[in-house]
Amino acid sequence: MPDVQTLVNELLFKLKKRKIEGSHATARQTAILLRLVISQQRIPYTHQAAALIDAVKAVGEQLVAANPVELAVGNIVRRVLHIIREEDLSLSTVAMVGLNVSAVSDDEGDTDQDDHPVLSAAAVAAASRNTLRPPSLQTLLEDLPDSAAVPHTSSSGDDSEGKSKSADKSSRSRRLKHDVIEAVNELIEDISTSHEQIAEQAVEHIHQNEVILTLGSSRTVLEFLCAAKEKKRSFRVFVAEGAPRYQGHLLAKELVARGLQTTLIADSAVFAMISRVNMVIVGAHAVMANGGVIAPVGLNMVALAAQRHAVPFVVLAGSHKLCPLYPHNPEVLLNELRSPSELLDFGEFSDCMDFGSGMGSPLLHVVNPTFDYVPPKLVSLFITDTGGHNPSYVYRLIADYYSTDDLVLQRKPAPVN
Amino acid sequence: MWRRSASFILDKEDNAAQPPPPPAKPDTLTLSLSSPPPPTATTIAATINPPSSFSSSMADTLQNPNPKISAYYQTRAAHHGVVSSDWLAQAQAVAEPHLPEGWARSGSAAEPGGGGGGGRPFSVTDEFNNWRQQPDLAEAVAAIRALAAVIRASEATTMMELEIELKKASDSLKNSDTTSISLTAGCDLFMRYVTRTSALEYEEFNSAKSRLIERAEKFGEISQKARRIIAMLSQDFIFDGCTILVHGFSRVVLEVLKTAVQNKKVFRVFCTEGRPDRSGLRLSNDLAKLDVSVKLLIDSAVAYTMDEVDMVLVGADGVVESGGIINLMGTYQIALVAHSMNKPVYVAAESYKFARLYPLDQKDMVPAERPIDFGVPIPAKVEVEKSARDYTPPQYLTLLFTDLGVLTPSVVSDELIQLYL
Repeated sequence: MPDVQTLVNELLFKLKKRKIEGSHATARQTAILLRLVISQQRIPYTHQAAALIDAVKAVGEQLVAANPVELAVGNIVRRVLHIIREEDLSLSTVAMVGLNVSAVSDDEGDTDQDDHPVLSAAAVAAASRNTLRPPSLQTLLEDLPDSAAVPHTSSSGDDSEGKSKSADKSSRSRRLKHDVIEAVNELIEDISTSHEQIAEQAVEHIHQNEVILTLGSSRTVLEFLCAAKEKKRSFRVFVAEGAPRYQGHLLAKELVARGLQTTLIADSAVFAMISRVNMVIVGAHAVMANGGVIAPVGLNMVALAAQRHAVPFVVLAGSHKLCPLYPHNPEVLLNELRSPSELLDFGEFSDCMDFGSGMGSPLLHVVNPTFDYVPPKLVSLFITDTGGHNPSYVYRLIADYYSTDDLVLQRKPAPVN
Repeated sequence: MWRRSASFILDKEDNAAQPPPPPAKPDTLTLSLSSPPPPTATTIAATINPPSSFSSSMADTLQNPNPKISAYYQTRAAHHGVVSSDWLAQAQAVAEPHLPEGWARSGSAAEPGGGGGGGRPFSVTDEFNNWRQQPDLAEAVAAIRALAAVIRASEATTMMELEIELKKASDSLKNSDTTSISLTAGCDLFMRYVTRTSALEYEEFNSAKSRLIERAEKFGEISQKARRIIAMLSQDFIFDGCTILVHGFSRVVLEVLKTAVQNKKVFRVFCTEGRPDRSGLRLSNDLAKLDVSVKLLIDSAVAYTMDEVDMVLVGADGVVESGGIINLMGTYQIALVAHSMNKPVYVAAESYKFARLYPLDQKDMVPAERPIDFGVPIPAKVEVEKSARDYTPPQYLTLLFTDLGVLTPSVVSDELIQLYL
């Protein structure tokens, strides 16, 4: 059995050297690694969830630091943390209900619980649910128990109940790990099938004799278009080549192989052709919390062209691309600058770009950003594996998948227990 | 690297390096001015016979012209500054009866006798006004503290009785000042909390009562904590070298900027004057004490400076269900200008300011008027727009920083629905 640490180091190396391309692959590998970390982690009897969360955060911190621009890593880490918290919560509310039912019957248990006011199980369940959800107006006036308080009451309850609970405790610890690993398996399954789930919705959006525009190459878009083709829709596709990597050429080839009528255009021709297009369908690198999209370079221009000509701009994104952070300065902080050799041939331009000539720094600079930020007002629709959504609805999806405690992955120096 | 460069930092360094220009003497200036303007100025001064109160100021302007102000605008200012004698006579004739009436001060002095208590020595409105005196206390906090005092003074023995008393007190508070949105929102929030708490959690009345009082007292802390949370959340949006436009005096915005200074960020602030309360002057004073570079603008200069601005940051009197805000008069104007120039508009507001209002246009709110001093008495036939606040629709706002997190305007209605329905 390979050591967990070696596998972590392997993934860290791949992320740092940018050996893994694309958020789908990154998300899958991160999820698989975290599942391994969880299954190998030894957890104590008390505060099990906190120990698991700590372990996942430790690995997650390193992974995110290795490639901060690849947001899918952080997304999956936060999804796993949310899963741990949810599973722990559902287990402890079950235990709490069972505990209170038996505590009411015998009086000796109450003397230990004098300091805690007598709360009904429903209230405790409500309070614990509130710790998981982001703060809201409903909870504004309530005294939120810390995440430490909920296991604290359960452990004090365990003490008062005595030996009958110890057997339950060990089975509980096994259950937590088991439940978490099951949920993480589901997550991996969801990531793997995200393309199919999105492609299933293709028929509702692509109609007969439509003209679709896309830029560059995205596997999600390819499968989306092919699914519509399978259902006997006949439509045409304009593919913008997507300089400087020219991945649009590959997409055009694939589409033709599947029997779709395709037209290949240069990026600069998008504005000229957009008036003849019914819909723009593109993939995304990441979707931010305000509904903004981090997309391959050139898509901001396409979005603006689409808005100018009132063409719907549809973004396909699996739920692993949904990031709970707000973009403060996305053009700089969430962008990667790639090698200028993709634009210019070093041989021909070596004298312009030479550091040794005269001044000490070359007069010719080449900037090759990988990503573009598309603001939310330019996006008409997001199609995720859960369905089609408005950009202003993204915050709801985030509330479902992530907990607010996990937005900052750095662990506090003093452990909270 | 993709943003406009922070040239104000370079300019500051350049100005510090150069020696300041020597102060010019008035007589040399009149000689240095080109010939056409001084004769026009003197001819205008000669032809118009200004009333005595204005002659001294005019003479001053002509004797000490500032070299940076063009003579053209100086003469225009002198020309427009003249008020003709008939206008003055007409204004003064009706000045006396006009001044006190029609200026409905929004919630100034409490009605004598306190509208609320209904014969009892304890009056919730008095209590509220007591709390309101503290400058650092938000209105909603004062309201909730007043309601906590009601609970303490109440002789009710059941939850229902207590709720009815609280409802009466809350209504009287709201009626004492119909224009204050955070007051209404705070009262509603507390009433909602009371009805939800009583049903579920406590079988025993006294413990429920003490819990309500305790939570209400703690609410003041929540308010302070809320400001700190908002300040923390907004830090990432303030980057080095940015220019922030602020409007109106908001304690939350001041907290945000204070925290940014503590985090050693370099930025500058454009402050609108905020006529007629001159709230901008107060704010710029506070900011200057923090060593932030501040520039004061008159309200009409906002569009002029908007292209240098990176973001607009305002507070809010209330956040309405649509996600829009109600704030000092002029906020809508600034948001429109910012939107047309693609500048983000950020609102810093605590969550207890969320109100169940849905204004469809500017006139759809309870009117809140305040006295405006134009410097001269206004004749009776001239109407004055005295409204103190306006409504900014959500499509002009980018993000709201609240203690519930960073929210887009559409999240606000979701939160309100979850609370009230």
